Amino acid sequence: MTAEYHVPDTALEVREIHKSFGGVQALKGVSFSILKGEVVGLLGDNGAGKSTLVRCISGVHPQDSGEIIINGQEVDIKSPQDARDQGIETVFQDLAVIPNFDVSKNLFLNREILSSNPVLKFFGWLDHKEMNRQSEIALKRLNSRIPSFSEEIKNLSGGQRQAVSIARAVNWGADIVIMDEPTAALGVEQAAQVNNLIKLISSQGIAVLLISHNIQHVMEVCHRAVVLRHGRAAANVRIDDITPDDLVGLITGAKRAA
Amino acid sequence: MTLLSETRSTVFHRILNREYFVYYALILVIVFFAIVLADTAFLSTPNFMNIIRQTTPITVMAVGMTFALAVGHIDLSVGSVVALSALVCSLLVDVVPWPFAVFAGLCAGMLVGLINGVLTEWLKVSSLLITLGSMGVISGVARVITNLESIPVTNDTFTFVFGSGSLGPISVMFIWTLLALVLGWVFLSKTRFGSHLLAVGGNPTASRALGINVVKVKITAMVIAGGAAAMAGMLYAGRLHGARYSLGEADLLTVIAAVAIGGTSLFGGRASVAGAVVGSWLMGVINNGLILWGFSTNEQIIARGLILIVAVAIGVKEDRK
Amino acid sequence: MLGVNKFKKLTMTTAIAAGFAMAASTAQAGPLETIDLSKSPEGPNGNAAQSVDEISISSGEAAAVKGKKYKAALVWHASGDWVNAVTKGAKTKFEELGIEVVATTDAQFDSARQASDVENVMALNPDIILTLVVDPVSGGAAFKPAVDKGTELVLLSNPIAGYKPNSEYTGIVTDDMYGMGVAAAEMMSDGIGGEGNIGFIYHDASYFITNNRDNAFRTAIQEKHNDIKIVSEKGFTEEGQTFELASAMILQNPDLKGIYVAWDVAAEGVIEALRAQGRRDVKVITHDLGQNNALDMIKQGNMYGTVADRPFEIGQAMAMLGVYGLLDKESPAFSVVGYDKVTKENLAITWEKSLRRPIPEKLSEALK
Repeated sequence: MTAEYHVPDTALEVREIHKSFGGVQALKGVSFSILKGEVVGLLGDNGAGKSTLVRCISGVHPQDSGEIIINGQEVDIKSPQDARDQGIETVFQDLAVIPNFDVSKNLFLNREILSSNPVLKFFGWLDHKEMNRQSEIALKRLNSRIPSFSEEIKNLSGGQRQAVSIARAVNWGADIVIMDEPTAALGVEQAAQVNNLIKLISSQGIAVLLISHNIQHVMEVCHRAVVLRHGRAAANVRIDDITPDDLVGLITGAKRAA
Repeated sequence: MTLLSETRSTVFHRILNREYFVYYALILVIVFFAIVLADTAFLSTPNFMNIIRQTTPITVMAVGMTFALAVGHIDLSVGSVVALSALVCSLLVDVVPWPFAVFAGLCAGMLVGLINGVLTEWLKVSSLLITLGSMGVISGVARVITNLESIPVTNDTFTFVFGSGSLGPISVMFIWTLLALVLGWVFLSKTRFGSHLLAVGGNPTASRALGINVVKVKITAMVIAGGAAAMAGMLYAGRLHGARYSLGEADLLTVIAAVAIGGTSLFGGRASVAGAVVGSWLMGVINNGLILWGFSTNEQIIARGLILIVAVAIGVKEDRK
Repeated sequence: MLGVNKFKKLTMTTAIAAGFAMAASTAQAGPLETIDLSKSPEGPNGNAAQSVDEISISSGEAAAVKGKKYKAALVWHASGDWVNAVTKGAKTKFEELGIEVVATTDAQFDSARQASDVENVMALNPDIILTLVVDPVSGGAAFKPAVDKGTELVLLSNPIAGYKPNSEYTGIVTDDMYGMGVAAAEMMSDGIGGEGNIGFIYHDASYFITNNRDNAFRTAIQEKHNDIKIVSEKGFTEEGQTFELASAMILQNPDLKGIYVAWDVAAEGVIEALRAQGRRDVKVITHDLGQNNALDMIKQGNMYGTVADRPFEIGQAMAMLGVYGLLDKESPAFSVVGYDKVTKENLAITWEKSLRRPIPEKLSEALK
């Protein structure tokens, strides 16, 4: 469990992020960092600023001030596309897949492989065969049990769908994956599958920022936890150094970070 | 390779799938009429060419409507766009070279589609309401610019190309139908943009999160629907050697029925161009058969309404799964 | 009069754009045009109108047709009471002559639909087609499949641009539209006691029958009834608009003694408006027969009188002209059927004469 600290590189660092909506200050200077291959839990009560922070990093709402640093370089993220270009992928809680699309179409949505024929390519002709081939490779990499790549996503289980979402993020060579409550809509067994998947991708060197309300999942999957309270980082602790009860105390404010 | 674990039962499930319903229905209806109308020319090449000739404008509109429905929109203004673009083209076709007139007619339709799309996104109102409004405005404009009079077309090249001509026994309308089918199918099923259309219709939130420009895609779908309706207008003008404000007025229900029965979801995300084309043929064959059988228009309207209910019933059942 | 001027301007532009196509058709009239009542209405190619009574088939000719298993199709523009009566007239005559009616269609005023109807009925190989053409301009293309096959085409009222009698079609049968308009003017004069101000609600669309009737009424009032003045003219395109038009008209002109309105269903809105404002004194004159207004007439409401044509006779004459074509007999190019002035007194008789069915029970009850 300590292997990650031997990797010195910081995948993502945020410094003094501020964000206001009208008169409401949602983020009042948040700073933390994630190492490569590390899973960091982002915790906090409702309204603590978790979603706002995620939206700043994923480009949905750019921050008012503060810096986002990726692999040692300060980057300017103004849109989801900017974030993606910087290697940040987001997996949403509401199973962000297209229900009528098959697995491979979902994996390659908005990143389709076009025909190698230059004329067909000009018209945006898709190379379904190549996409199917690469989907198979991507899902094998995640040891996923997907029955068929031509199956429509709506016929898969919630866990399988989330696996496709995660595979989509990883497949795009993401260095950093943000997961917003990936298990919230899932049953116990399905959630366990997703947690295993998170461990798997972090072992492949990907930095994961996991937003979760489930303390048990955080204890099981994460290396470190960042707790937000009232728009500030109230704590930044190693999971090995804390008990679940203390973690809950930090979230509710009953306990203060040492 | 792709069908890793496709079992016989899923194959069976696919055959019974709603997407195939329209094909069975067409075969069933043709067999039925062939028996009932054995003593007429129902089962003859000229009669089928008649059906194609009559149905092609509906087919073209249905293909356009498929794009609107794919993104979760509906375009009620297609009928009035037919009249507007046919009139614009007819007013110009004997004045300027005919390709310019056609271009102007198509632009009129696409402009209406653009306005429909932009207003829907800008006002954040259902496209149903926006196009209901534009339907009224456009049919009013079509009446005003011609003062309810018919505009004749005398350009032989235009009328030949847009519906009246034939190459041997093959009506040019058949070629237009094939063109609509192939273009629509390729665009929707084989290209990146088609894939984005269906993604936006299936889950707009996810599509936006994945970086698809949802607004642009939705507006483009409405422009395609408007352009297809304008094309249908040209075909009416070519077939009838003229245009009139009332063209297309009665087509909306037929178009929606054809598209819905063809397997396209009325709620976005699932669309079949081939189904829409076959659906329009089904409507055409039923219309032709009922007339040959001696039924009145009122009874035909009832039949069309029933078909729509059947189609929607099957569709909704499928979508709820 | 601004509206009228604007109308003329639009007509000009569309006429230029439309080119020559309708130029040949002298009978084509728009709303609000003065017509020469000294002439009888003319057919589209300048043929003078002849009475429908001149159409007949001798027993020898009938025998020549019977047993040949000829087939006929009726390709109508719309459906309704009036069309039913024409259909009935045609079917009765065809039956007498041993001709089978194989299809009846209704284009619902949609010219594209009528073109499809023609193609569809051609699959049944009819020898005769009776029709009312929805769009005289595009009708040439729509009926071409029938003409090409040598089908005998008989037209009701509307001409087809570019078609000639005894060539592409046998002949046209229509109402005596001028006569009906003049008769309506006479009834108006009777109804309001020969003098006073009246309102004129006309069909504001280019439509052969209604335009001719409306214009004939208007011209007859101006030329033959000097003590009656049309003080308000309003046009409508949909029947549903007449309630509002009539309401506004009587508010603006409270001294109106009578209102003319283009046809029966449109008159229902006018009567509704008069009732709503308690104006039982305003007399309404219109064309055609309908139950609701007939009841009002019987009860001495606003409806004073109507001019009824004879659709059944039109149907019979058309059927005979079809047979003229089969026999290669020269057809009268343009035939008109008569009409009746209908008031409470002769309602029962004229109803049966016009529509060829007994007067509805509700009306006969009310007449007692």
